[in-house]
Amino acid sequence: MNRTKREINYGMFILPALLFYVLFCVYPFVTMFYYSVTDYSVSKQTNLDYVGLRNYIEIWDNDLLLYGIKNSIVYALLMTVFQTAFGILLAVALDKKLKTRNILRSVFFLPAVFSPLVIGFLWNYLMSTSDFGLINQGLTSIGLSKINFLGDSDLALYSVVFTQLWQWTGWAMVIFLANLQSISKDYYEAAEIDGATASHQFWKITLPLLQPSVSVVAITAMIGGLKVFDIIMSLTNGGPGNATETIMTAFIKTSFSEGFYGYGAAFGVVFFVAVLLLTMLLMQFLRKWGEKIA
Amino acid sequence: MNKAIRITKSREGWILEAALILLAILFVIPIYYLIVTTFKSPDEATFHPLALPFHFTLSNYYEAWNAMNYPKVLMNTSIITVCSVAGIILFSSMAAYSLARRDHAVNRAIFYFFLAGMMVPFQMGLVSLFKLINSLGIMDTLLAVICVNIGGGGIVALFLFKSFITASVPIELEEAAFIDGCSVQKTFWFIAFPLLTPVTATVAILSTLNVWNDFLNPLLFLQSRENSLILLEVYRNIGQFSVDWTSLFPMLLLGVAPLMFFYLIMQRYVIKGVAAGALKG
Repeated sequence: MNRTKREINYGMFILPALLFYVLFCVYPFVTMFYYSVTDYSVSKQTNLDYVGLRNYIEIWDNDLLLYGIKNSIVYALLMTVFQTAFGILLAVALDKKLKTRNILRSVFFLPAVFSPLVIGFLWNYLMSTSDFGLINQGLTSIGLSKINFLGDSDLALYSVVFTQLWQWTGWAMVIFLANLQSISKDYYEAAEIDGATASHQFWKITLPLLQPSVSVVAITAMIGGLKVFDIIMSLTNGGPGNATETIMTAFIKTSFSEGFYGYGAAFGVVFFVAVLLLTMLLMQFLRKWGEKIA
Repeated sequence: MNKAIRITKSREGWILEAALILLAILFVIPIYYLIVTTFKSPDEATFHPLALPFHFTLSNYYEAWNAMNYPKVLMNTSIITVCSVAGIILFSSMAAYSLARRDHAVNRAIFYFFLAGMMVPFQMGLVSLFKLINSLGIMDTLLAVICVNIGGGGIVALFLFKSFITASVPIELEEAAFIDGCSVQKTFWFIAFPLLTPVTATVAILSTLNVWNDFLNPLLFLQSRENSLILLEVYRNIGQFSVDWTSLFPMLLLGVAPLMFFYLIMQRYVIKGVAAGALKG
């Protein structure tokens, strides 16, 4: 009797978390699959009709959504690669015994606590081609011509990536540093005795032992990259044209600004599949790499 | 020989340090620019962008403060953050405890059910979520955002709590308590929970950063000015560029100032928390 009561008490402990998770995450997610095959829209909210795969087919005729998918994938891949690479470089440099190590670490991490929305507005001014645009002022003062970072559709997406690398590289660095500090110094002493060069030590000792943190940073950067929203809203609002439109901005515009809920839902399902595929590919790649160095 | 090596090494170290300091200065220029521009007129900011302001004027701040209704939105943002973070800590630590201590098939399934959520972009359910919030009658209330935050933020937290409990909370104390007739609730709150402080701090810091900086959920679920948040006010006020563009800078700074203070005071814990949250999972 007492035992059953205790088991029930244990069960009750799970309930609140489960309730919030199911109600506010799982339920909305699952119903999207249903809406994606209906004609649900702002003008037709009840008596939904089944429309088969119409919404899915129409995605391929919609520039906004197609650009959104393409840009998000490019953005996520660039963020994954460069955030990991720069993060490792900074972490390795700051793992050395430097006098200013702690303050440097705090400085590089600082942008990560800011809201991407505010960062977007700030960089909008910094990258402006107007007279007050700080970066272009710098370029013209050393005799170069102005660069239209955000107005040139070939360049805009890379400008967004640049600001986000500025913001998040320190975050990656902090994770790599924690990993580096768990690596025993014995490996390096042994390597030194064997006459291994610094770059040799990096490729053969440091990088393989960083595998756990590389996985975490790469996967987080990938998923976060595919979901990017705030920075786009404040830095470019998807423009010029559709040059920086991402999956999330296209999704929000289609669903909430235009009111095509069923259509937006179909796009959401495609988004889910894209995230799943890319994340699994990345995990596969990281696991192969892990096996190779093990 | 040995000495020579040490000398070249220390020179290399010096060059490395100088290069890093230079990089750090470049890194903070945007933030420095954000701060000094808040005190300048457009002309002054255009012609002397990086100089310290000639004459400090707080009128820009005064206008931004009023336009944003700052005390009100700061209060709202704080309420959402405190309630969300408390909810996340409370519910996910309880669930994690139960899942860690009762390791049977059902609980394992529940755990994987949570775990799967880490890879799902729940944002795709926003349309249904919007409908749900409406039918619950909590649209345009702070409670709506708090509920969504607890639902989404609990996943990683649960994962962190569970691995911490399994790895470093000894079960012996709890068993002794049970023998003495202590209930599950009492055992958790008086014996297990106090031992969770390190991971609770990690969860608190990570959740605070996430919840405070969240823009999308409030944008969708809070419409009235009465229930506005800091970031929503920044977004609504900055919409268009005006001629008097420097007057918008205090708004940006007021937008990030609370978390900047939080970071300056707690930086060691924040950095530790971010690293622990990523690697201990």
